[in-house]
Order: sequence, then C-alpha cells, then structure tokens
Amino acid sequence: MRIQWMLTLASLKMFIRQREAILWTILFPLLVVILFGFVRFNGVGKIELGVVNEAGAQGADLLSRIKAVRTIEVSEGTRDSEMAELGKGERDLVLIIPAGYAPAGGATDLTAFGDLEAKPQVTQLGGLVLQRVLDETTFAAAPGVRRSTLSTLPFKSRNLTYIDFLLPGILSMSIMQMGIFGVAFSFVSLKKRGILRRLWVTPIRPGDFIIAQVAMRLLVLLVQMTIMVGVGVLFLNLHFIGNLALICLLGILGGVVFLGFGFSLAGISKSEDQVAPLANIITLPMLALSGIFFSRSNLPGFVRAATSVFPLTFLADGLRSVAIDGAAVAQVMPQILGLALWGAVSCALAIRLFRWE
Amino acid sequence: MKQSGDIVLEVRELVKRYGDTVAVDGVSFSVRAREIFGILGPNGAGKTTTLECIETLRPVDAGTIFLGGLNVRAQAQEVKRIIGVQLQSSSFFDKLSLSELLVLFGEMYGRHVDPLALLDEVELRDKSRSQVVQLSGGQKQRFSIAAALVNDPVVMFLDEPTTGLDPQARRHLWGVIKRIRSEGKTVVITTHYMDEAEELCDRVAIMDAGKIIAMAPPHEMIDALVAGGFRRERVERLASLEDVFLNLTGHTIRDE
Ligand SMILES: Nc1ncnc2c1ncn2[C@@H]1O[C@H](COP(=O)(O)OP(=O)(O)O)[C@@H](O)[C@H]1O
Ligand SMILES: [Mg+2]
Repeated sequence: MRIQWMLTLASLKMFIRQREAILWTILFPLLVVILFGFVRFNGVGKIELGVVNEAGAQGADLLSRIKAVRTIEVSEGTRDSEMAELGKGERDLVLIIPAGYAPAGGATDLTAFGDLEAKPQVTQLGGLVLQRVLDETTFAAAPGVRRSTLSTLPFKSRNLTYIDFLLPGILSMSIMQMGIFGVAFSFVSLKKRGILRRLWVTPIRPGDFIIAQVAMRLLVLLVQMTIMVGVGVLFLNLHFIGNLALICLLGILGGVVFLGFGFSLAGISKSEDQVAPLANIITLPMLALSGIFFSRSNLPGFVRAATSVFPLTFLADGLRSVAIDGAAVAQVMPQILGLALWGAVSCALAIRLFRWE
Repeated sequence: MKQSGDIVLEVRELVKRYGDTVAVDGVSFSVRAREIFGILGPNGAGKTTTLECIETLRPVDAGTIFLGGLNVRAQAQEVKRIIGVQLQSSSFFDKLSLSELLVLFGEMYGRHVDPLALLDEVELRDKSRSQVVQLSGGQKQRFSIAAALVNDPVVMFLDEPTTGLDPQARRHLWGVIKRIRSEGKTVVITTHYMDEAEELCDRVAIMDAGKIIAMAPPHEMIDALVAGGFRRERVERLASLEDVFLNLTGHTIRDE
C-alpha cells in the first residue's frame, strides 16, 4: 500500500514538473472551449418546432401541413418531453394541438410556447407561419368555418449555448487523450530507455507501478474536470446543474476505459513512432463522430447508430446529460453500463497485450 | 588476493538462449564474499546476459544459480532484496532530483534512506538537487551505483560501468568501487578493459562466445602466460600514452 502511494506521489511530481503536460491537459482544452465558445454558430437556420399532438387523428392534417413547411424542423413528443427540450433551448417553439381540436370543428384556441425574450425574431416568425398553416388547414377542411387562433405564450428557457454543449465534450476528449496518448507515449519511453528494467530489479511488483500510474492519472483527471467546470461556470456562463460526484464517476469510468487502451498500445508498440499512428487511428474517428464539437443528430442514420456505441460517445453524452440536464444515475445508466463494458474490454486487452520490454 | 570469505554467489552450468543464439553456454563460477569479481570479454560475449540471469531479469534455460543461500530461479523476489544492480543501459525517471530518486528507490525496499549519505558515498552530494539528465557520464554511473546501494545489498552487479568514460572519470569510479568493497560488499563487475580488470579485480573470468575460457586472479594469469614462454614482441615501455595523458591533464575529474 505504502509503496503504491509513494509511487503515485512520485509520478504526480514528475507529471506536474512537465510543463508540456500541464499545457496539454489543462490549458489546451480550456483554450479550445474558449475559442470555439466565442464563435457564434446560430446563423438563421430552421425554426426548431416541437409539436405535441393531443388531438390524435384530428391533428394529423395540421401536422403534415406544418411538416411540409421548408423553414420548420418538426420534432414530435409528449407535452413534458417537448417542454423540457424547450427549456434546454433545443426547440424554438412548442405547439400544442389540444385534445378537442378538429380542423372543421369551429374555432379552437391553440397555444405555442417560446422564449419570446431570448429569441424574439424566431418566435414571432414561427408564430406567423404557424397561424398561416392553421388557417390553410381550417379552410381546406371547411371553408366557411371561423378560423382558429394561435397565441404564443412566453416561456423562459435556460437558453443553453454552444459552450454548454462543447465543454463536456472537450472534457471527454481530454480524458481520452490523456488516457491513450499520455500513457502510451510515456510507457513506451520508459520501456525504451530501460527505466522499467531498472525498476524490476527492485522488489516492487509491476502491478504496483501500474496502479500508481493509473491513480496518478485519475487524480490529474479529477483536478482537470474541476478546473474546467469551475472556469466554465465562473467565466463562460456554463449552465452547470449537475451532480459533481456523478460527473467524477463518469470521468473516472471513462479514464479507465482509455487508460486501458493506452496500456494496450504501449504493449504492442516498441517506439513512439509506432504509437502515434495507432493512437490516431483510434482517437480521430471518435473525435470527429462522437459528438464532441457537433451534435451527432445530423449524422446519417447508420453512422449515428454505429457511433452511438463509441466509448467517447458514452462519455460525452453522459457528462453532458449530467452537467447540463442535471441527469441522475438512473438516467445515465446506459452510458455508465456502456463505459463499464468498454472498460472491461480495454482492461482485458491491456492485460493481454502489455509487455515490459 | 585479499581476504577470501564464504561463497555468496554460485553459478552452475548456466545456459541462456535467444532463439537460435546461445548467449550463455554452460557457464559456471563462484564469487566469494568481499571480493571484486570481474567478467572480462569482448562485446557480445554474453556478459550482460549472464548478469541479467543472476539479477532475475531473464528466465534461465538451464543451470542453477545460488545467491546468498537463495535459489535465484525459485526465489526471485527474495533475491531482489539483497542485490544492488547497475544495468548496462538503463536510465532513471526524469523530473526527479537525485535525492528524490534515492528516497523513492529506498521505499521500493521499504527503507527510509538518507539520500545525502548515499550521495556522499559516490561523491555527488553537491548534485543532490540536480536531475539525472543534467549529469555527466561519470556522474551518471556514480549515481547509478548510489541507487544500487539503497538496500545495503550483499552483492553489487556493475555492468560495464566505465565504458565511455574519460580516463579521469574511470579512475574516480575505480576509487568508488574499491571503497564500496572495503565497506564489506561483494562486487561483480563486467568490463572489456584489461587494465581495469587488472587494477580492480581479485579474480577475473574471461568470457568469449558464451563460455568462460579462463578464470583466475589477474596476476596469476599473467604469470602463467609468461611462465609458458610468452614474450611481448616489443618490451613494455616504462610509461604508456595514457600515463602521458594523465600526466599532462592531471588526475582531477573533469565532469563536474
Ligand atoms: N534481448 C536479446 N534478444 C536476442 N539476442 C540477444 C538479446 N540480448 C543479447 N542478445 C545476444 O546475445 C549475445 C550476448 O549478448 P550480451 O549478453 O549483451 O553480451 P555482452 O554483454 O558480453 O556484450 C549477443 O550475441 C547478443 O546479440
Ligand atoms: Mg553487455
């Protein structure tokens, strides 16, 4: 126990004294968040409309006419789920088609909700477009009937920004980079320079050294997560409402997954030159497709399905749900299980592939 | 020969292969307590492999090794506790000072060492806050000896500690090694310098192509050769070029 602790402390000391390491693990991810965070991605795109159809078949015609409008992107859901999405800023407007609504049934009042204050143009424009579609639907069903009216009610959304999306993603990314690149490069160098051989003529066991290395990196990871979330909340207007303990749990699970891959790579590589391409082959697809910088919802269906099981996707989605939506353990159970499964795979691989020489 | 003691290391019929290469081919020798035992041989003779088998770093193909009453092949962990090792090509962690490294290595044996006392032993006290990368070749080798001393070992193994050092640094290291022996340690050293073997070792084994081809105290080997009628083609001059060099540049070490 004592020697593992001493080795952890020594590793931590070595890590902290490496300026580049601090730069890459703490400053670089922060810089990425800050830079990307200030780039505005909200050009005038489509109107994100949530529709809650409580009128069943009676609402179908209206719904299909709304869907036909080019400038509107429709998502359907229950009142609760759509209002939650609106709260997060994922929808610009949520239209409720109430239970009594019928196109030819005479005047009914429909309601739409939107953050009129934060998104004045989109909500107004959306309201106008919806009223027009509503009129068309009524006219098509029964030309003489008095028109139904739509009123748009204000709803205060949390108005999440790109930073809220990005920061958990970047956190996941740097956990992956530290696990894979950090471990693989440093172990290959320790191997090549004979430092490990020197350790094996002392009575310490290889396991002691590995435990110390893992513990050191998990400690660094916790500090890194705290700093990123702290800077996010204090300076970048991060809407953090999550449970820190759960964030740490996910971070550590993710750390174990990627450390396992890092040790596997260190096992099969003889030099740094061999590590780099392998590490890139593993990490680049995940960086691009795991929803770190951009939402995976725009990916083609089969790619989205395939990437949904990437370990980085589990980690990023999990961290994001907890940090931004305040998800509890039960809600991120799929991510926890996914990471645990990947952790088992990567550790098994590391045990098989890791070589001391 | 100096005091001879009990046998602390006994190697019998040691064989080690790497694929088809027989690196060590039935080597036997024993080392007595408090002696400096040299293994002399050209590159590729199998010196490093022999040491690494004794040091528990390599699985052995055949033969037995007893060290301090322990069977090396069966009791590797216990053996590690009583040996001090300087590997031919190995380094230490960056970013830790010499003192921190010695403390850490001490902890690996469950010992609390006094780093400055160990550094005194190899005359590196003033470098206690430096890192290994900042040391010269001779200083690195001396530090490596200090690190091998943290567990107060019974036997020290030094693999070509003076290769690549300038004459002054070599002589300095010889002084350190002799002092360690005088403090009661047994030293096994490999070298391919004849003068070094002659100067340092109580007994040497000459190794070539995986086999020991001669083993005796250096002066006995020379006497035997001379008695057999051997004469150098040219009579030895009273001084060598190295003497000239040392006379001109002095014996003080340059690497610090
Ligand atoms: N890890 C290894 N794998 C394969 N062959 C090796 C290895 N280490 C040493 N050898 C071979 O074993 C022989 C003895 O090497 P070594 O013990 O290093 O000799 P020395 O230390 O006397 O120079 C050489 O032929 C060398 O090429
Ligand atoms: Mg050698």
